[in-house]
Amino acid sequence: MRAEQQLRASLKEIDDLKAALDEHAIVAITEPQGRITYVNDKFCAISKYSPQELIGQDHRIINSGYHSKEFIRDIWKTIGQGKVWKGEIKNKAKDGSFYWVDTTIVPFLDEEGKPRQYVAIRADITERKRTEEQLRISFKEIGDLKAALDEHAIVAITDPQGKITYVNDKFCAISKYSREELLGQDHRVINSGHHPKEFIRDLWTTIGQGQVWHGEIKNKAKDGSFYWVDTTIVPFLNDLGKPRQYVAIRADITESKAAEEKIRQMNVELEQRVAERTAELEAFSYSISHDLRAPVRAIGGFARMVQEDFADQLPPAAQQKLDRIHKNAMKMGQLIDGLLTFSRLSRQPLNKQSVATATIVQRVLEELQSEQANRCVNISVTELPDCQADPTLLQQVYSNLISNALKYSRRSEQAIIEIGASQQEGSCVYFVKDNGAGFEMEYAHKLFGVFQRLHRADEFEGTGVGLAIVQRIILRHGGRVWAEGKPNKGATFYFTLGGVHE
Amino acid sequence: MNSVFPPGTAEILLIEDNPDDAEFFVHTLEKAGLAARCRIIPDGAEALEFIFCTGRHAERQSVSRPKVIVIDLMLPKVNGLEVLRRLKSDPLTRTIPVVVLSSSQEERDLIEGYELGVNSYIVKPMDFDEFGQSVRLLCQYWLQYNLTPETLKKPPA
Repeated sequence: MRAEQQLRASLKEIDDLKAALDEHAIVAITEPQGRITYVNDKFCAISKYSPQELIGQDHRIINSGYHSKEFIRDIWKTIGQGKVWKGEIKNKAKDGSFYWVDTTIVPFLDEEGKPRQYVAIRADITERKRTEEQLRISFKEIGDLKAALDEHAIVAITDPQGKITYVNDKFCAISKYSREELLGQDHRVINSGHHPKEFIRDLWTTIGQGQVWHGEIKNKAKDGSFYWVDTTIVPFLNDLGKPRQYVAIRADITESKAAEEKIRQMNVELEQRVAERTAELEAFSYSISHDLRAPVRAIGGFARMVQEDFADQLPPAAQQKLDRIHKNAMKMGQLIDGLLTFSRLSRQPLNKQSVATATIVQRVLEELQSEQANRCVNISVTELPDCQADPTLLQQVYSNLISNALKYSRRSEQAIIEIGASQQEGSCVYFVKDNGAGFEMEYAHKLFGVFQRLHRADEFEGTGVGLAIVQRIILRHGGRVWAEGKPNKGATFYFTLGGVHE
Repeated sequence: MNSVFPPGTAEILLIEDNPDDAEFFVHTLEKAGLAARCRIIPDGAEALEFIFCTGRHAERQSVSRPKVIVIDLMLPKVNGLEVLRRLKSDPLTRTIPVVVLSSSQEERDLIEGYELGVNSYIVKPMDFDEFGQSVRLLCQYWLQYNLTPETLKKPPA
């Protein structure tokens, strides 16, 4: 009776244990030949087979094909020898999906020591396996990225105190130090001394505050040579928000820096040369201004003095010749003045600003009022868009063009001068048009040359400098000037100012 | 250095090294009847000696302050702007009117001239007649119309 009670109690305990096990694990029992004799609910749930479909089958029904033959053979060998097998197995459920189980197979032996049955207890580790796989992929990706980065950039890692904890091959190559020489050192080992203390301090302040620093640094290699690196330092913070380590990624910009420096030097040289040339030109025109005028004035002056002082002793022919001497001296004076103006306007700094073109034209017309005295001139001014120009120089342009128009139209019965502008291919073209003497288009290219004239001096006076000045001013504005004309039908001068649409 | 200019006859002091321009200048003054009141000195160094009664003119005691000093810019030894600077930086000579009569109309000469305190700046006209007219007008103006503190100190004639 006691034995029966004891047995009952033991059976109850076994039942409890089995219930607990079923609650926790995937359980299956197979007979020595491998046929399944028992599966619990969890086995059915994970494999998605019903007990009826499983009982009597062997485990090939859930074989995923993932494991090698040797792996399977090893299981059977182990448990066939009555030893426990533990391992991770990938299985295939009825719906084709895969699952991983951490598996323990315990063989139970008969009296002869031969396996009587195998109890397999499994735990679902599919989720863990998936995480592991993702982790593996992530690590692989990180490895790939690191390899690519090492291929491309100079990389170093330092601890919060600035000690170098890692350098890649490129760092060693450019600094000419070995890894052993660098690790444990701080960056002073490659300090070139080029940067001021404030620069270095700013760098440390920035990254010390957890902010990324970016800049260009000149370093010194082991052999004393210098190199420039475009540098990004990224601080990585610990849980307290303090820098844990700094990763510095650099690119060698020594060559572009050298090129930059060369360009800078060339610019300095160029500016110097321009300044020298300008100074030479200035000295030249200054001495023309002072020294060339005096003898010309003397020639004309003495001719006049002779005419005055010896008027009654000179025959008319001599008077005339003295007149010619005086006139030529005056002409020479005008040419000198023209040249000086031309040279001054070429040197004068360009003071570009927004200019009301119409106001400039109005001012010029008022100034030229006297040249229209006793003449019938019809001047029309149509809409003139504002422009970007040096107002003084633009006024000079209009002054020269309009006084030319007045001059060359003075033989026309009714002089007509049009001043206006039109849009051509997106830029504003200003023009001054007259109906005067005009010119032959085949000589148009000569119009803007210094001292070039298309009319005889006895037809129209002039020095041949006015249009050269116009061209010089327009070119200095980045614009274009050109002319159209026909003999006795008038001329039109066009110009653009580069700055209008800039 | 003398504290007072000794009495003398030069009312117009022309500092001009170019003999042609000097001749035109005198020619004009002759026609205007002013030639006797003019003295010409052909370089800047001597001009300063003349005005300050030093060097070659240390013994001279007979020149008054000119009513106007007409000065060319391109002068041998001491150039016109330097003479101007010396005249205008000395309290004794600062109030003497100085007129630049130059071939140059270079902006920098104009700017420097006025910064140094020039009283007038005239560009020598190319044309002989215009030149004469400018000279006549400027001499008449400074001699007949312009007042200086010294004009008032003189006893009435």
